[in-house]
This record gives sequence, C-alpha cells and structure tokens, in this order.
Amino acid sequence: MAEPKAKIRSLSASLRLCGLLIVLLVITIVGAAMLGAERLPLFDLNEQQRSILFDIRLPRILLGACVGASLAVAGAGLQSLLRNPLAEPYLLGVSNGAALGTMLAFVFFERLEFSRPLMAFAGAGLATIAVYRMAKSRAGMNVERLVLSGVIVTTFLSSIIVMLTTLLDAAKLRSFTFWLLGDLSQATVNGVYISLGAVIIGTIILMSQARALNLMMVGERDAFDFGVEVGRVRMLVFGAASLVVGAAVAASGSVGYVGLIVPHLVRLSVGSDNRLVVPFSAIAGAIFVVFADTIARTAIAPRELPVGAITALIGAPMFIYLLRKN
Amino acid sequence: MFERGKVLGVLLLALAVMSACRGTAGVTTNVESQPVVATRVVTDDLGRAVTIPVKVTRVVSLAPNLTENIFAVGAGDRLVGVTTFCNFPEQAKEIAKIGDTMTPNMERIVALKPDIVFVSTASQIENFTKTLTDNGIAVYVTNLMGLNDVYGNLEQLGIIFDTNDKAIDLSYALQLRQLAVCKITKGCLGRDKDGPAPDAVHVFIQISKEPLFTVGKKSFLTQLIRDAGGLLVTENIETAYPKLSKETALALNPEAIILSDSEDNREPNDVFKNSPAVKNGRVFKVNADLLSRPGPRLVDALEQIARDLHPEKFK
Repeated sequence: MAEPKAKIRSLSASLRLCGLLIVLLVITIVGAAMLGAERLPLFDLNEQQRSILFDIRLPRILLGACVGASLAVAGAGLQSLLRNPLAEPYLLGVSNGAALGTMLAFVFFERLEFSRPLMAFAGAGLATIAVYRMAKSRAGMNVERLVLSGVIVTTFLSSIIVMLTTLLDAAKLRSFTFWLLGDLSQATVNGVYISLGAVIIGTIILMSQARALNLMMVGERDAFDFGVEVGRVRMLVFGAASLVVGAAVAASGSVGYVGLIVPHLVRLSVGSDNRLVVPFSAIAGAIFVVFADTIARTAIAPRELPVGAITALIGAPMFIYLLRKN
Repeated sequence: MFERGKVLGVLLLALAVMSACRGTAGVTTNVESQPVVATRVVTDDLGRAVTIPVKVTRVVSLAPNLTENIFAVGAGDRLVGVTTFCNFPEQAKEIAKIGDTMTPNMERIVALKPDIVFVSTASQIENFTKTLTDNGIAVYVTNLMGLNDVYGNLEQLGIIFDTNDKAIDLSYALQLRQLAVCKITKGCLGRDKDGPAPDAVHVFIQISKEPLFTVGKKSFLTQLIRDAGGLLVTENIETAYPKLSKETALALNPEAIILSDSEDNREPNDVFKNSPAVKNGRVFKVNADLLSRPGPRLVDALEQIARDLHPEKFK
C-alpha cells in the first residue's frame, strides 16, 4: 500500500486524467460523427441526411465505443486476475468461444436477433470454463498452465471455425470472413443497447472486485490470507469478461489488440490499482475503437475496411514499442 | 462486336489449321514410346501459346462458367473433371469433382489425365500452372470480362473441340439476342463514349445484404446494366465487388434494386427502406449464378433485367 500523502496526490492526478479521458472521448465521438463516407452539413440536415447521421453513423460510433470499452475492461480484469500481462480475451479463448457461439447462432437461429449475443455469451463462458478446468490441477491453479490451456482452447476453437466456414456455402462464407476480421458496419440501435447494457454490468462487476484483484496481484495465497474469496473473485471476473466479450464479439466479430494494448497504456499512466485501471481502460478502449473505426469508415470511402485490421495495424507496432521501452 | 469475335475466330482457325499441319508433319517421338500424338498450338486469353492434341478428348474445367461454355459448344461429354460449384447444366453434376475453383485437388486432376485444363483468371493459376505443365497437361487461361468475351470464348472453344459450327451458331444467336435487347433499350448505343441510354433507370445491385457488398467499376455487370437500359449507381466505385459504406448506399437513391439471389440476400438492406426502388416495389431477384458467370446464360440475365427495368417496352 502506498503512503497516504502520495496516495492523495495520485488521486487528484487520477481525477484530472479521468476528466481528460472523458473530454477526449467526447471529442473523438463528436469528431467521428462529423466524418464519414457522406459529407453532412453542420446544421439544417434534410431527412436523408438525418437518417444517415442517426440511423447509420451514430449507432455505429456508439457500438464501437461499447465494443472498445468491453474488450479493454475484459483485458484489464483478466491480466490482473492471472497476473500475466499477455492475458487477453483472444489469448484465453474467450473471444473464439464467443465467435463460435455467434457463428452457430447465425447458422441455426438466423431470424432471432437476440440469439447471437446469447450464444456468444454462452460460447465465451464455456470456453472460459474449459480453460479453467484444464488449468486446474491437484496442486491448484498454475498461471503458466492456465495460459497454455487458453492457447490450446483458442487454436482448437479456431480450427472449428475454419471448418465451419469451409462447410458453409459461398455466400455465407463471404460475409463471415469479413465479420471475423472485425466489422462494425452491422450496427443497429438494438445492438447498441445490448452492448451498452453488457459493458455497464461487466464494468460494475469488475470494479466491485477491483480491491480483491489488487490483493490477488500480489499473490493468491496472500490474498487468501487477507480474507479474499479467491474462487469467487475468479468466477466473477471470468463471468464479467465472458459477458462483455460475448456482447462485443456478437456485435462486431474479432476486433484484436484492444484488450492487450489499452490496459497496458492505462497502467503506464496511472499505475496498477485496478480501481483506476478498470474504468480508465473502459474509456480509453472506447476512444481507441471509435478512432480506429473512423479510419476504417473513411480511408477508402465509399468502400470500407474492417476495423479489426486498423486496430491491429495501430496496436501491433505500439505493443512492440512498449515492449522495447520497458 | 461482331467483327472482333469473327476476326479472332478466323485467325485462331487459321492458326489451328497451320499448327495442326505442322504438328502432323513434325512428329515428336515420345521417350516412353507411347503412340505419337499430333499436336497443335492455340493462344489463350493471356496470350500464352498452348500446345494441345489435334483431337481433344479429355478436359477439366476449373470454373463453373467455363463448364457451361464447354457444354454449350457441344463438348460436355469430354469433360472428365469439374469443380464443386459446377451445377449447370444438370449433366455437369454427374462429372467427377476436383475441388473448388480456388483450391482444386492437384492429385485428382493429374490422375484424370486430361489433355487440357481450362482455368479462369479468377483462380490462382500461378500456383498450379507449373505443376500441371510438368505433368504434360496443357493449361488454357481465360479472362472473360463481359458478353463480348463470352462470344469470343465460345468460338475459341469451338476451334479447340472441333465443334466450330455449333459454337459459331450459338455465338451468333446470343449476339442477335443481345442486339434485340439493345435495340429496344437503346442501351448499347451508349457504349463507352456516349454514356447510358437517355431514360436509363438508376440501378443498385446488391450482392450481399450484411455486410453490404455491391458491384463496382471493374465488374462486367456495369456494361450489362447499360445494355439493359440502366445505369449502375455504383459504376464509378473502385474494384469489382466493393464493400460499400451504408451512408453512401443510402444517399444513392436507386430507382431499382437487383438482388443477386442467394440465401443471405433475399431482401434489400435496411438503408434502402426509403429509396424510390423500395417505395415503388422495384426490387428484382436475379439468379446469382447468372450474374456471376460470364457464359451463355448472361444473355438470359440481360433479357430478364431489361424486362424488369423497362416492362413497358417489352410488351
């Protein structure tokens, strides 16, 4: 625990940073709303222009913000829980579980709009439980074993997804390969509500466990000695991560690097206190994805790029830079 | 349009006759002392000289449109291998499958011992041309970018399979059908320099609903729509099959929407709900195979679209 004096100073600095991030998020969203394949006037929009702004552009921007926040808080939670900076929804198979769930919903319950997020949540949850079961041995939970299980589940699920895309007919295959790269173009107002609900619930759960996660970062045994119910925290964090990742993947496919890069950047600026890392990651993740999707929407307009390609394009070099710097 | 096909046909015929003579005169003795096969040389769409037997009896097609073309010139019985996509005509389904267009099974092709393998530039030819050539199998590459190329291809196939009469009759019949449509729509008058017909209907072609894919500048459908008396609202967008921004799609205000009919594309995307096309009920489905295969049935698509766009002119 830090000295009280230092703590107070860092608190005011953190509040300032929080304000800055929120302002930045608002600026990003407003900026993104002004940019797009179609040029819109600032005032006096006609009916069609209103439709472009409110039915297409804004839902997509807000969905991007929800997806970014979801992936970033999931990454922040999993990294603290597993004490591994590489822990990320993708690495642990959570995203692939969600992707497979979405895909099955797409094949079997195409007409039901809510089937995709539900199946994605189920897929993410099942993948997490599978990883957890595989990693748990008589000697207890070993972090290396957990990450290894995650990699195994991820690659296994990937191969099932590849098998399915090959077996599906050509028309469905085309939309799916695009979706797998991360694509926000299918944003709907309902989709925004689902994602927003999921990310709010998920973030609240993760923040309620932030203190426990702080203690667990020191070591699970120490946390246990401090009275933390380690098993319960683990289930809650896994559950929250499955929820937010399920909603994000169902809405937008696989948008990579957000869960990895955003919590890292946040920790560099505010330290590793999860009470700050979780909410700050949510805001920063939202900024990152809205920014990346604005590029995806406008770079080669009126054509579009998949947003996952842009996040990877920005995320990968940034990650290498951070690795070399530390 | 007539001239090009005809001149090409005559040239190829002359070339074929010449090389056939040369082939029989300069016999090549095979090391494995197999019966000597007389050969001739034809030129494919990439300008490659392709050496083929004088009498072509076993061929493999790696594209559904080429399968249709080969059947159409009366050489369907010589197909020994086709792709899993080759579903027309009915008899094509009975032929051995060698995989799909992008990932054909090499071993199976070689085992079928074809004289020629027909590929389209849409397949990844570089990878397997060498393997096939090394196995003594000729590879004939086609690059069909519209109806004119279809006519030329049919005539070339007539030469290759020695079914000239049937091929040329078919080619002319198809050209006459296209001309008949153009005469009514006045669409073909605008070929390249004069622009589309004066009363051209603004058309959007939806290839897939979600994500929203359409056709652009590089697609042969751009000209087909003009022939049918329409104007593609996306005809200046780069590439052949772009993923289109929904904002742009909404602002395009098409007067008619053509759905490439497939399972995931049964209705127009929601962004078109206030477009003139949807409001006036001018949404038309066209068999996806017809729209995606440069073959004889492309003329069927032309006729159907022209009727859909200008019902009053086709009474």
